[in-house]
Amino acid sequence: MDSLQLGSYTFSSRLILGTGKFSSTRAMLDAVRASGTELVTVALRRFNRDQAEDDLFGPLSEIGGITLMPNTSGAATAKEAIRAAHISRELSGSPFVKVEIHPNPHHLMPDPIETWEACRVLAGEGFLVMPYIPADPVLAKRLEDVGCTSVMPLGSAIGSGQGLSTAEMVRIIIRESNIPVIVDAGLRSPSEACAAMEMGCSAVLVNSAVAVANDPTAMASAFAEAVQAGRRALHAGIMPRSGSAVATSPLTSFLGSAS
Amino acid sequence: MKMITITLNGERTGIPEGSSVLDLLSIAGADRKQVAVVVNETIIRPADRSATTLKENDQVDLLVFAGGG
Repeated sequence: MDSLQLGSYTFSSRLILGTGKFSSTRAMLDAVRASGTELVTVALRRFNRDQAEDDLFGPLSEIGGITLMPNTSGAATAKEAIRAAHISRELSGSPFVKVEIHPNPHHLMPDPIETWEACRVLAGEGFLVMPYIPADPVLAKRLEDVGCTSVMPLGSAIGSGQGLSTAEMVRIIIRESNIPVIVDAGLRSPSEACAAMEMGCSAVLVNSAVAVANDPTAMASAFAEAVQAGRRALHAGIMPRSGSAVATSPLTSFLGSAS
Repeated sequence: MKMITITLNGERTGIPEGSSVLDLLSIAGADRKQVAVVVNETIIRPADRSATTLKENDQVDLLVFAGGG
């Protein structure tokens, strides 16, 4: 079976789904089910009794076979991310943490230095660390060296829908990496998820593209199929590019030809 | 009933003196929720919540999982 191995965890789905931006908890849960995902991200927030829908632990627990991957969104430093990871592990019981440190709310680009430091500490503490990073092959290798479970380079800015604009850098990261590479952020459509999988990504993480679709459930299902198609195509062997045309039909002995 | 003032999720809040963390969860309406409790930057595990008494000026955060990518 072609499964995704992350630490001691084995997943049959290669689509990781974010739970933000959905119009309701019900819409989110329906999309999670339709996606077939087994790993979802959640964010740590202060409890507010007036916003009961904010509390997703109970509803997500009711869906069987879901593992939580809390993120450290909101953290601007390694220290804050480490603190958030500790609290999240207490709450979720999950060893996964998506390290996400973006100090600038205007572009949400990950801080590579703080991210590296947080990952070094958390991996040393036994977390399964999945950092959201710029598509930088050198940083990716450094994070592998400190014990990250995977690296998650951005396709483009969070929530931008600008697609896989970092494709060539992600290709290098995949080539050099000994740990799973997961494209996280920026994907807009299932075709982009499929392309990421054809490139050799081990999985993709999608949130906005599903959450803001007119029909999130249908879009979740479409992404699931695209991820599977891309993975199958990679295994099937994608034909090499040619600089010139190569005929698929005979060019000789046509009607009325001399030979 | 004598009251003390703590900071709960960033807001100054009065609670009865002698309240435990478990009491606070009930006061805050979070007793039936899966919440993480942090008092003065220390995580208070469920087993320790009834025995942990809150003091004047304690900084308390109650945290849950919300949607996020």
